[in-house]
Amino acid sequence: MATTVTLKSFTGLRQSSTEQTNFVSHVPSSLSLPQRRSSLRVTASRATPKLSNRKLRVAVIGGGPAGGAAAETLAQGGIETILIERKMDNCKPCGGAIPLCMVGEFNLPLDIIDRRVTKMKMISPSNIAVDIGRTLKEHEYIGMVRREVLDAYLRERAEKSGATVINGLFLKMDHPENWDSPYTLHYTEYDGKTGATGTKKTMEVDAVIGADGANSRVAKSIDAGDYDYAIAFQERIRIPDEKMTYYEDLAEMYVGDDVSPDFYGWVFPKCDHVAVGTGTVTHKGDIKKFQLATRNRAKDKILGGKIIRVEAHPIPEHPRPRRLSKRVALVGDAAGYVTKCSGEGIYFAAKSGRMCAEAIVEGSQNGKKMIDEGDLRKYLEKWDKTYLPTYRVLDVLQKVFYRSNPAREAFVEMCADEYVQKMTFDSYLYKRVAPGSPLEDIKLAVNTIGSLVRANALRREIEKLSV
Amino acid sequence: MALFSPPISSSSLQNPNFIPKFSFSLLSTNRFSLLSVTRASSDTSPTAATAVEAPEPVEVIVKEPPQSTPAVTKEEITTAKNVAVEGEEMKTTETVIKFQDARWINGTWDLKQFEKDGKTDWDSVIVAEAKRRKWLEENPETTSNDEPVLFDTSIIPWWAWIKRYHLPEAELLNGRAAMIGFFMAYFVDSLTGVGLVDQMGNFFCKTLLFVAVAGVLFIRKNEDVDKLKNLFDETTLYDKQWQAAWKNDDDESLGSSKK
Repeated sequence: MATTVTLKSFTGLRQSSTEQTNFVSHVPSSLSLPQRRSSLRVTASRATPKLSNRKLRVAVIGGGPAGGAAAETLAQGGIETILIERKMDNCKPCGGAIPLCMVGEFNLPLDIIDRRVTKMKMISPSNIAVDIGRTLKEHEYIGMVRREVLDAYLRERAEKSGATVINGLFLKMDHPENWDSPYTLHYTEYDGKTGATGTKKTMEVDAVIGADGANSRVAKSIDAGDYDYAIAFQERIRIPDEKMTYYEDLAEMYVGDDVSPDFYGWVFPKCDHVAVGTGTVTHKGDIKKFQLATRNRAKDKILGGKIIRVEAHPIPEHPRPRRLSKRVALVGDAAGYVTKCSGEGIYFAAKSGRMCAEAIVEGSQNGKKMIDEGDLRKYLEKWDKTYLPTYRVLDVLQKVFYRSNPAREAFVEMCADEYVQKMTFDSYLYKRVAPGSPLEDIKLAVNTIGSLVRANALRREIEKLSV
Repeated sequence: MALFSPPISSSSLQNPNFIPKFSFSLLSTNRFSLLSVTRASSDTSPTAATAVEAPEPVEVIVKEPPQSTPAVTKEEITTAKNVAVEGEEMKTTETVIKFQDARWINGTWDLKQFEKDGKTDWDSVIVAEAKRRKWLEENPETTSNDEPVLFDTSIIPWWAWIKRYHLPEAELLNGRAAMIGFFMAYFVDSLTGVGLVDQMGNFFCKTLLFVAVAGVLFIRKNEDVDKLKNLFDETTLYDKQWQAAWKNDDDESLGSSKK
């Protein structure tokens, strides 16, 4: 028993282990070497004390999909939850696409979804256009939502489950001195009476979930480190009705060096307008040029449109080096859970919020016990185990197919293949890497190599022409 | 945005009655020197269709077929060198010079026009497609629902690609491998006295052979060495970024993290 306890102190905690009075001694590192974290079955119940007369208090900073989902799960698990959101009617600039599984997993009402996209068009640098979506079944679609609607709905549900929603701006937090002292959060509360400036307040909580997005302050206060990020630039354009019918249930993706050197340009239909945008990691300074190029490629189809809004937002490219620290965990964009290649973030934000909250609920036994870092670490383990393959696959796809114009041409050519479409949509809509048939996989591999070879051969021809 | 308010009847560009008589390639060099594509600046207001037909050389005008609805056209060609803007301020310059070629019909190459001695000349199809892609890389065009591009490179048979691209390079690489092989065999023989047949039986020599073949295959140009190194770093970077969360908390003595 003592060994497990001391081992636990070693794996779960860093400097804080010296401050703990509960643990007997440090186990020298050589002993813990052969132990891999995955083989340890540590339960919090033995080490952490019961909370005598109160429930566990957890603050969720940020009220987007991640924060809303986390707060709801925490409140349902019997934990005293406080959700702090700085702008209740925030229209976060966003692509706004959610996969089908999110509707089911989070019980979203269908009227939240403005549009159901069932067709997509991929357009190569030389304007070869490929329609994908033929393999979709009747009930399958990509949902387009308005962020202000989705976020408000999830927050409302959290409130109904018992969470307290506060309109306030998180400023900083004081770290606890002991392993079971509370965190002191400093925030500005906007309650409408004190006007725009709000009142400075503090709050003591046992744990914090940082769901405050790409520029997370929680991440800064735990020294989570930085990540590379892409800039996504988007213009909302209201186009004439007859042109809008083309985009009724169709989204477009443009690839090419003119549109973006490492990402894609898009035309996504929203409730009554389209969003035309592009993004880049490496050439952020040229984003306006890329946007013009995207508009140019879609020119015929958005002619006569009026720009009603221009927005930009950062998209994390990979997770932060440190995603949790003692009793503070990051979820969603704050942690950097955006996939490569497609740049999808909403589903992963909500899912990570829920997973983290579940880990807290379990570790605290429905709010009765104090938690420690080991419980939050379980959330990281589960997350990495479930979704790392997905992230890896998308990273490989981005590296292979977005690196140059020939690669993009090959990419679009491959998308014409029915098997590719089926696999792509299956993995996107249901977030599972479905096992296809091996024969088809081999054929796909051969075809991919063939497309890449042909496209690169054409590039060599192009180079010969310019000489 | 002013860019969008004037309806551009770009479809009128593709006047089906008017197919240029000469192939695209003839004009390509002329075109680049004569024309410059300028895009409308965002803060200019669209002036009415000033149908200023700049006094171009005949070829250029021919490429832009006359608009069917002159009242709303904005297709104006401005040249950097041309100053025939007779006293009129050229504000809107929507120059849409689309890719055109006699053999490019309905968004794909018309293979019948590539026939040579009764068989399709795939080489010229490949060259034509390369020219099209080059053109589009330099002058990105709008996509249009009326004229979708449907060409798929897989209609060109595999042996045409191999003949054109693989075989010359294969010859080169085999030549290099043969030269390296001959001199390495001689060198090892002179050093150790082991003949060619006995060398093949030795494990170290077989490893050298493997390294030589791999080297010839992967390092074809000087830049390839750096490229391969960067490629390796690239493939492992994303994984490293994900494992960083675990590495931080391990003791220094615990080597690499799990997974």
